[in-house]
Amino acid sequence: MLILGIETSCDETSMALVREEEGKLEVEKNIVSSQIKIHSKYGGVVPEVAARKHVETIFSILEEFMEDRKKIDVVSVASGPGLITSLLVGAEVARTISYVWEKPLISVNHVVSHIYANWLEKKTPFPARHASQLADVTGRPNPSREGRGIIEFPALCLVVSGGHTELILMNNFGKFEVIGRTLDDAAGECFDKCAKILGLGYPGGPAIAAEAVIARSDRKERRSNPLVSEIEGDCHAPLCSTRNDMHLPRPMLNTSDFNFSFSGLKTAVLYKVRDLTGVGSPASKALEAGLPTVTRSRLAFEIEEAITEVLVSKTIRAAKKYKVKTIMLAGGVSANKNLRKKMGEAIKAELPNTKYQIPDIQYCTDNAAMTAAAGFFYAKAGKFTPWQKLRVDPNWSLD
Amino acid sequence: MGIVIKILIMHFISKNEKETLAFAEKFAKKLKGGEVIGLTGDLGAGKTVFVKGLAKGLGIKENIQSPTFLLMKIYGAKAQTQRRKISKSADAKAQKIKFLAHIDAYRLKSGEDLIDIGVMDWLGKKDAITVIEWIENVPGIFDEKKIINIKIDFGEEKEKRSIKIF
Repeated sequence: MLILGIETSCDETSMALVREEEGKLEVEKNIVSSQIKIHSKYGGVVPEVAARKHVETIFSILEEFMEDRKKIDVVSVASGPGLITSLLVGAEVARTISYVWEKPLISVNHVVSHIYANWLEKKTPFPARHASQLADVTGRPNPSREGRGIIEFPALCLVVSGGHTELILMNNFGKFEVIGRTLDDAAGECFDKCAKILGLGYPGGPAIAAEAVIARSDRKERRSNPLVSEIEGDCHAPLCSTRNDMHLPRPMLNTSDFNFSFSGLKTAVLYKVRDLTGVGSPASKALEAGLPTVTRSRLAFEIEEAITEVLVSKTIRAAKKYKVKTIMLAGGVSANKNLRKKMGEAIKAELPNTKYQIPDIQYCTDNAAMTAAAGFFYAKAGKFTPWQKLRVDPNWSLD
Repeated sequence: MGIVIKILIMHFISKNEKETLAFAEKFAKKLKGGEVIGLTGDLGAGKTVFVKGLAKGLGIKENIQSPTFLLMKIYGAKAQTQRRKISKSADAKAQKIKFLAHIDAYRLKSGEDLIDIGVMDWLGKKDAITVIEWIENVPGIFDEKKIINIKIDFGEEKEKRSIKIF
């Protein structure tokens, strides 16, 4: 089966071709045009701009798929949750293709698509030819040509992105149960807003991760200096984060449910910046007062630690309770190297018999290959949507 | 458009998040339906906390998440299942209010952006309360005179907030 995926939920315009053979899903083409550069000056996605950009970009991407139209078996489109103005662009294109090319249509959930990214084989995707015309193309070769491991059910998936933070229990294909979610801000949103407070760029996750790397290497240098290590003596934690003056709370770390809360963490960062600079109203004025760059890196490190620690700890606890056989990550924040590493270490230490599955970095953030992958499983279950009945739902919940 | 001069109706000093929640809950009971509330305040000031209190006061049991990503969330509105979540114990006045439209203009830069996502369907609806966070980002599409403005500022001490209604 050859599936055409279309994804325009937020600020990425993407189309992909995924081939299924004997249950294996291989990406033949995956073109992602990101608007991150456009939106970074606003510190986030501007819906009207996003929609206009989708319209501008999607046709040049569609041209790349014209030669495949005869081979395509089904069209799969993400129709929610997301920004309504953005979703509509993908939906209209999918509807038109379905009608004109006479292809069956599948309407998939965007969050579910993120989860199904875990079923994509690790393989170098077809390089996009018009790389120079598109803002960002995922054609990065992947040295690993091995197939993914077998995902056994029940599986637990931590879906973390700018708009979602959910722990989803997957009992089988198409059987999803949300067992925990954020009560306020999503983890990615927390990264974005903390980055904004620290005067770092958008998107906040990569910006904070980059600063955290600087803090880590600074620390290593300091520790290799005999004078410093003598003063800091008995501290053995990687960065001594629990002992240093940058310490931030781990919200809801010890609650018995599987929910998260990141809004308070953002406020704690504000207070910390205020304490460090002595300036009254934080977000705007504290930065003008000048936060030393070393302090900023250390704070970024601590923010990343706090977020990832809570995510890992709750996932492990939920995995134990539901006795899952596989733990998966999904969503843009699952591209965070520290999170991937920490989760792996925790599983190895606490649940050595549980499998650990993470999507390729290029399939963590929004892309249409995952939409196509989800489309395959919907098609297998016979869940088609006639083009006349395709509707977008910006609040599509899995409950 | 002329300049609209507004008079301070209420000034409340909140000692902490709990007090803000309680204040918003009490404030909700005074609403009749159809009000449009504009919330202003820096990141971390507690705008979403205020909306959580407001929702509780309106008898909405559902948890209020940050609407930053989706821009607009409707509570107690979508389907029968959600309508059931409005508790029976909420007072009669609140019962008349069936929906809470929670909007976040943090990522927006003009009023048109809001129109595009369908805000006008909810604005001024008699059985709905519309709350807009970061209303200063979307000028020009509301009738200033009809908006209840709420400004939350940081106080001298960490947890303290000044809440002004005008």
